[in-house]
Amino acid sequence: MRRLALKSKDVRIGVFVCHCGSNIAGYLDCKAVADYASTLPGVVYSTTNLYTCSESGIAEIKRAITEKKLTRVVVASCSPRTHEPLFKSACKEAGLNPYLFEMVNIRDQCSWVHMNSRDEATEKAKNLVRMGVAKAWFLEPQEDFEMPIEARVAVIGGGVAGLSAAESLADMGVSVVLIEKSPHLGGLTLKLNSLAPHLHNPDDLVNPLIERVEHHPRIKVYKESSIKKIEGYVGNYRIELDVKDQGVIQEAVSAVVVAVGAKPYIPQGLYGYDGERVITQFELEQRLKSKGVGDAKNVVMIQCVGARSQAEGEKSYCSRICCATAVKNALILKERFPDIKVSILYRDIQTYGSDFEAMLWKARSMGVRFYVYDPSDPPKVADNAVLVRSKIFSDDVLELPADIVVLSTPLVASDEAPVIANLMRIPTDANNFFLEAHVKLRPLDFATDGVFLCGSCRFPCTSEEARIQGMGAAARVGALLAKGKVISSALVAEVDSSTCCGCQGCLRICPYGAITYDESRHVCQVNPILCKGCGACTAACPSQSVQLKGFRPSQLLPQVRAAMESLREMFVSCEL
Amino acid sequence: MIRDKEHHVLVIGGGIAGIQVSLDLAEMGFFVHMVEKLPSIGGKMAQLDKTFPTNDCAI
Amino acid sequence: MDVGRHPKIELLAYSEVERVDGTVGAFDVTIRKKARYVDESKCTGCGACAEKCPTRVPDPYNEGLGERKAIYRYFAQGIPSTYTIDPDACRHLAGLRAEKEGADKSKIKKCGVCAKICQAKAIDYSQQDQIIHRQVEAIVLAVGYEVLKPEGITEYGYGRVPNVLTAIEFERLLSASGPTAGHLYRPADFVGKKKMPEHLPHAKRLAFIQCVGSRDGRRSIHCSGFCCMHSIKEAIIAKEHDSELEAWIFGMDIRAVGKGFEEYRLKAEQIGVKFVRSRVAEITKGPNGLPIVWYEDTRARRVYSREFDIVVLASACLPPKDAPLLAEKFGIELDSFGFIKTRPFAPFDTTREGIFVCGCARGPADIPESVAQASSAAARVAQVVLQEARKVAMQ
Repeated sequence: MRRLALKSKDVRIGVFVCHCGSNIAGYLDCKAVADYASTLPGVVYSTTNLYTCSESGIAEIKRAITEKKLTRVVVASCSPRTHEPLFKSACKEAGLNPYLFEMVNIRDQCSWVHMNSRDEATEKAKNLVRMGVAKAWFLEPQEDFEMPIEARVAVIGGGVAGLSAAESLADMGVSVVLIEKSPHLGGLTLKLNSLAPHLHNPDDLVNPLIERVEHHPRIKVYKESSIKKIEGYVGNYRIELDVKDQGVIQEAVSAVVVAVGAKPYIPQGLYGYDGERVITQFELEQRLKSKGVGDAKNVVMIQCVGARSQAEGEKSYCSRICCATAVKNALILKERFPDIKVSILYRDIQTYGSDFEAMLWKARSMGVRFYVYDPSDPPKVADNAVLVRSKIFSDDVLELPADIVVLSTPLVASDEAPVIANLMRIPTDANNFFLEAHVKLRPLDFATDGVFLCGSCRFPCTSEEARIQGMGAAARVGALLAKGKVISSALVAEVDSSTCCGCQGCLRICPYGAITYDESRHVCQVNPILCKGCGACTAACPSQSVQLKGFRPSQLLPQVRAAMESLREMFVSCEL
Repeated sequence: MIRDKEHHVLVIGGGIAGIQVSLDLAEMGFFVHMVEKLPSIGGKMAQLDKTFPTNDCAI
Repeated sequence: MDVGRHPKIELLAYSEVERVDGTVGAFDVTIRKKARYVDESKCTGCGACAEKCPTRVPDPYNEGLGERKAIYRYFAQGIPSTYTIDPDACRHLAGLRAEKEGADKSKIKKCGVCAKICQAKAIDYSQQDQIIHRQVEAIVLAVGYEVLKPEGITEYGYGRVPNVLTAIEFERLLSASGPTAGHLYRPADFVGKKKMPEHLPHAKRLAFIQCVGSRDGRRSIHCSGFCCMHSIKEAIIAKEHDSELEAWIFGMDIRAVGKGFEEYRLKAEQIGVKFVRSRVAEITKGPNGLPIVWYEDTRARRVYSREFDIVVLASACLPPKDAPLLAEKFGIELDSFGFIKTRPFAPFDTTREGIFVCGCARGPADIPESVAQASSAAARVAQVVLQEARKVAMQ
């Protein structure tokens, strides 16, 4: 291996080979690996432990750093995801910069996958350790980035989700700026007639919530406001608003919660929609709330209008709440007008969970009729009736008298969604719903730090679910703010502006929005707080101007060369 | 926020809900006592092979 | 893993709450820490004990489809990684108990192999349950749900007709860490045998029966929310293991209502999973010893019967068996379905102040819902605890 004479006296490497109980030692010869390590350049101390992550293992690392004056530590054991932070802390406690630590995985990458070849596994472990030692030579001390963060958050959207997030945050002691584009708070929920499943009046939920938010000492509410600009990053957002009668206002916050909601789809051209006799479920809500349904004797509802469809202009998803809404309204119609005939034409009745299903059973017992239709043979709306072929009864077409036809349409993304997505560089999916960090395990976070989401802007949900998500987003923000500072890893990308040509290839590829382009100097720069060290920019840069700290070519190439050492015997001439 | 006194909360159940609520509370500065009747945490999710719709492994 | 390492989380596994006294802001909780007979601070999780243990019992983690030893780890990646001795299975402990009761010493078979082999000297047969107290300001119940064991639904033949499984048993079959390392063998071919036989045939025809014990006037009318999705997932994964495999899903309504779910259902259709709108009437044992499913295809308005290799019952998500006991212990109410009742417009507040609920204990919920609920419940707890603290401070 090539030595760098300049550095050799500063490089004193300690290698700790872990038995990991029998996880590693059971499948390869740890002592042989440790003995081999001691022959490598720069290694002044090499040993094995039963469990390096145990108290005694950690104590041994710290002792060795002090006694042997180690300037690098290499632990050959399990995956960095398990104990790297622990080993780095140990180094730090012994006075060694934690970034002068290198971990070699001889468990997942060796013993676990070569359980039946002890000799070969041992050789491979030796090779892996040699590579780790090679890199250790070129490690640089680094410092984590720390940035103080103030407890001030913006919530965009004043519907139930946004109101719940704001209230929760304010009660936790956080200052909140609530931004709403319309003159009223309460969003879509306040426009409804009643809430499933218990048929509560939305006013009873929303009005007290609005009261609490408007009178909360820590919440500032801006109504009739539009957002002109949002710049910055976690801990440091600057929002420019245009507020009616107040002009342009600047607000500085540490985090943003997106709660811009959704709107009902208008089924233009479908099923003879005319807004008078053929109306949407949402329009039915308005009528039930105000003028009623006149003297209609027969109401036919059609589910999945404009949804679960591959047709152009229609939506492919199931909008989750429309079946429960239809059943709710059917129940209300039957309760108000016992002689009215209500039929629901559906593909699947999505009354999920306990309470919604109970609502379905009640509707059936009250005489609401349900007919299945096939999407390939949909119902037809005629002048006084709806024609439907429901195979579960017969192959003939049924003619259902219909004074009012109610079309259940999906909730679609709000018009604000693409605007906010653009302003904040956060992702949306094909339906313009916001794309969360992980659909299963992090449904309320964005991949970008400091931004969160809740409510129907994520995906259609009930007002209770919106409230739950709003509170959940508040908890996620609370976790971020609780420490009073943001700590981010030092292993981030950095741009050498002397060689950067400003092609912005890195900016386009960055999934975290961590790179910006400096117009005046024509170079790109990386925001170390947002950078997650994924390395995509480094790979994309045609001039090697972007490098990932901790993974520079000068650090990786020695590793590659070390890996090839074992092939040396196979090739007669090999210029390394 | 939660700086003056240390607040203690008990969480019963070590499945995904229990784990998440404990982590969120702990991150917010609360001290969480987690009680689980089985010998280890993980709940039903630990018994699943993969989860829908991404087919990620459940661990 | 994050839980095990967090400095602000004390994990009391293998423990149960015995008593709750006090009110919001000042609860006194009595907890029983059950004896593992293994010293947590010494056990390194190396597994040598389980290797040598001579006693095998059915493994509840694998839903009884596989076996584990009397000394065991609940599952390989479990946190904490400490081993536990099952006092009902361990012959050494049984021997000690018998000795105490004055049984004839010569008749007692003792063991003690695990203690002999343990390098860390962590085995402690004399360990006792510990009773500990904790003072807390709020309590969160995240006690989950129970899967209905469908023996009671006699027409589905669970426990009687071979190869009829619950969904969670099927999950264990599909899993690489399960009793068959992910091979879709038919359980009747290997369960109960001392050693896994060689060259077992793979199941080629799968039936998934929805709404087993759910949406059922005789049992529970509620819909269990996530079973349509997990059946679709299991069908897709099974077809990934073997693209020629047949997978049929028998359900009334296919509830794919979450984000990305309808697209997932469509994908299942596209790779050949069959959906039959039906409610399966009966499952009988056919002449080949394999299950026969009897159903009406409601769109065809005809009754059919069909043989399958494995039938998977998507059985109901029920409130935990000890829910009524729990309700009494904690002084809270259950709703009409038996799940923990919450207050209107306060989705995590139980009927007792200071006690909260999230996840399936509240009602059927899938994973992203449970995760979102948990985060929200945390916010709610924070809100209430801090408000209480302010109230007290002002007095």
